[in-house]
Amino acid sequence: MQHAERWITREMLVAFLIFGTLPLWVDSVGLYSYIGVEVVIWMIFALGFNLLLGYTGLPSFGHGAFFGIGGYAFGWFQFNMMPNLWLALLFAIVMTSIIGALVALFVSHRRGIYFALLTIAFGQIFFFIASKWTSLTGGEDGMLNIKRLPADFGFVSFSLQDNTALYFFVFIVFALVVIVLWRLTHSPFGKVIRAIKQNEMRVGFLGYNVYFYKWMVFTISCAVSGLAGGLFAMAQEGAYVQVMSLQWSGIVVLMTLIGGGFVSFWGAVVGTVVFFLARDLLGTYTEAWLLWYGLMFMVLVMFKPEGIAGMWQDAVKALRRRQIVASSPSAHPVGK
Amino acid sequence: MALFEAIHVHKRFGDHVVLEEINLSFEEHKLSGIMGPNGAGKTTCFNVITGRYKPDRGQVIFDGQDITGKPPRTIAQLGISRSFQVMNVFDEYTARDNLLLAVPGVRQKGLNIVHDLANDIEFNAKASDVLNRVGLAGKEDVLASDLSYGQRRALEIGIALAAEPRILFLDEPTAGLGAEATAELSAMINRLKQDVTIVIIEHDMSFLFGLADHINVIHWGQVVAQGSPDELKANKWVQSSNLGKLA
Amino acid sequence: MDFLYNLLPHLVNGIALGLLFALIALGFMLIIGVMEVINLAHGSLFALGAYIALVIITPEGGLAMPFLENWFGIAIVPRYVAALILAPFVVAFVGMGLEFCLRRTYGKDPLYGLLLTFGAALVIEEAIRVIWGHGEYVLPIPKEIRGGFIHADLIWSTYRVYAAIFSIAMIGLLWLFIEKTPYGAIIKAGAHDSEMVRALGINLPKLRTLVFGFGTALAAIAGIIMAPIWGIRPQVGVDAVVPAFVVIVLGGIGSFWGAVIAGLMVGMVVGLTAAFFSDWSLLSMYLLLLAVVTFRARGLLGKASALEN
Repeated sequence: MQHAERWITREMLVAFLIFGTLPLWVDSVGLYSYIGVEVVIWMIFALGFNLLLGYTGLPSFGHGAFFGIGGYAFGWFQFNMMPNLWLALLFAIVMTSIIGALVALFVSHRRGIYFALLTIAFGQIFFFIASKWTSLTGGEDGMLNIKRLPADFGFVSFSLQDNTALYFFVFIVFALVVIVLWRLTHSPFGKVIRAIKQNEMRVGFLGYNVYFYKWMVFTISCAVSGLAGGLFAMAQEGAYVQVMSLQWSGIVVLMTLIGGGFVSFWGAVVGTVVFFLARDLLGTYTEAWLLWYGLMFMVLVMFKPEGIAGMWQDAVKALRRRQIVASSPSAHPVGK
Repeated sequence: MALFEAIHVHKRFGDHVVLEEINLSFEEHKLSGIMGPNGAGKTTCFNVITGRYKPDRGQVIFDGQDITGKPPRTIAQLGISRSFQVMNVFDEYTARDNLLLAVPGVRQKGLNIVHDLANDIEFNAKASDVLNRVGLAGKEDVLASDLSYGQRRALEIGIALAAEPRILFLDEPTAGLGAEATAELSAMINRLKQDVTIVIIEHDMSFLFGLADHINVIHWGQVVAQGSPDELKANKWVQSSNLGKLA
Repeated sequence: MDFLYNLLPHLVNGIALGLLFALIALGFMLIIGVMEVINLAHGSLFALGAYIALVIITPEGGLAMPFLENWFGIAIVPRYVAALILAPFVVAFVGMGLEFCLRRTYGKDPLYGLLLTFGAALVIEEAIRVIWGHGEYVLPIPKEIRGGFIHADLIWSTYRVYAAIFSIAMIGLLWLFIEKTPYGAIIKAGAHDSEMVRALGINLPKLRTLVFGFGTALAAIAGIIMAPIWGIRPQVGVDAVVPAFVVIVLGGIGSFWGAVIAGLMVGMVVGLTAAFFSDWSLLSMYLLLLAVVTFRARGLLGKASALEN
């Protein structure tokens, strides 16, 4: 069990199996294959975001900005520098990391309300700049004609024009992101950031440089968001300013919490799937689906902020307890 | 020379003077006590010494080094560790993880994302050792939030101890404990004092008189008496105050 | 000198804006004071106020029913006054409903209260989109407060002057309420001392609900007054929350006159930026928030508060 689980876990294999085979069965459940591309990209975004919300307890309400910046950076690079997929994605990551690191300088000394409001302010600033700086971003019309560049490995090159091919590409990126973030959150670093969420002051009194850790998490989270944003621009064949609005920044918060980002690594993934299913299933019945989705979020915050993953964990716990009681009637049920 | 000294430390909040020209010195390998009635400035004194607040005037010296006004993390890195009066454990972590987080070796690996903490024999041995010393053996995998009140108090001290301090500050460790638990705690601290320098804030006089080598009495933000427990029992000020009656 | 002279009308616009910001901020502050919750939905309730006023004033607002023909047939002044009175009540009820939901988060990590009001903000905004669509509305106002007038060779906006005077009156009334009535004393006490509130035999949950309703009603009033200046859009609430927060932080949490002075400062900064770069005037507010929170997190009057946790 021990050493392999450091990198790959059973849950991961299940997730990879489900998403790795998605194009094979997605049509038969009444969905279409492009939705898979969007879902997987948003899962990457939500995983990156959850480093802040779920792991460090920092509610960023402006994260859509970094998702958006990643898209513009990806487009700008392929238009103005070189139409190379790897370099364009790398550029998206580097740009969002740099901008994220600068923003993090302002926000890493803050938490709670001040943190939330600062991230709203930064999000709005970037949204504003992106809407008005038409020569760079295309303003309200967006940055159009972004190419789905081929995945060139030197000896062999795959075209990603087709949605299924693109799906497999974003899936592989997703798998890599999952492995890296799983390792990150289950390393000493992950232990420290979760401790900061629980009791920031005590962590400082144990000799940790809390601000540095918060700065680091914020920057990493922005880098992952930028990667997702670059992929999204490729999928949509354009980068648009809407994803940077407060509403979209809010949606990633909603997704992550509903899925159970506070208690599970997989919360962000589950939440993204639920969001897109809600959009495509509820959306066919009512224009107001986002309203219902928001209400569901409010109900969860009130009654079960641990989200879907939390309910699952409770159910597993209850089941185990029942099994223990059933197998040895005299034994006391043990917690956990 | 004393391991830790506070020289002419002065602290105000607004126009309220909390500490007035405090002089304290704590000898290495000794257990020192700070006692005084509630609101006398004991906890503020700890907070100034361990970097939570900056003193307005005065100096704090640790092992010959001036640490006045340094941030808590720097002070902690030098080997000064403290527990809190209000419970400050990590509720979502098991007892073991609470302690692991405090181990300086883990802190040095804080940015290492490849390290496998769960299977690190050295660090886990350290955590187990501390759990034994604070009487929590067997509770390794229990979540801190599921521990009893007394166990959480012990864990609170354990976290401070796991930081491998050269000097350990304990803020009212008996707060909220019953007579039996207090006696257990007393025995535990008696064992700890064999290998670490300890400073305890307490208003439970009998507790402190039984443990301390040297006691400072603080009242109205000033040190009003100092000495060994026996000397203090003979001290006129202590006798005339209600503190003396407790002793 | 001419240049500065021509700036005068912009300054007045800024003052009107600033007083409205102060009004939003004071409603915000009442809520922080009594329950130490930041209501991120305050902006959405501000927007909701404007939409409900729209419904009351014009059939375009969605109530074009036959039996209401007589109502929409009467002169605009009584309709406008009715909106100013009724819309805040409706919004106050929504606010009280929100407070009821918030009760589940009292005593927990403040993060949950923050998330809940953020969710409420999105829900209200989305509800507005569903009911009134994505487009922009213009709130009809009586002709007495429309247009402009020329005074001392300069063109002044009648509405801005009206908005400024109205806000001053509202702020004055609020001040009288807080300083001169027993309710105000309780609200002030509730902020720091719920024990005293209990000792006075006051039902704290009820007090919280009422204050929440009152605070959101102020947001609605500000929303109605602001509507002709900013237009009515679903997302207009965000633009109101941020200045309110800037004002509160700048003025110092819990300080009535601090908020008023800070409101005026913020309004003038935004007003003057608008004179030169109208596209960027809202951006100046966000930059101001950054500057304030970075350099003066505890506000001009510098009190520690629960918000830092």
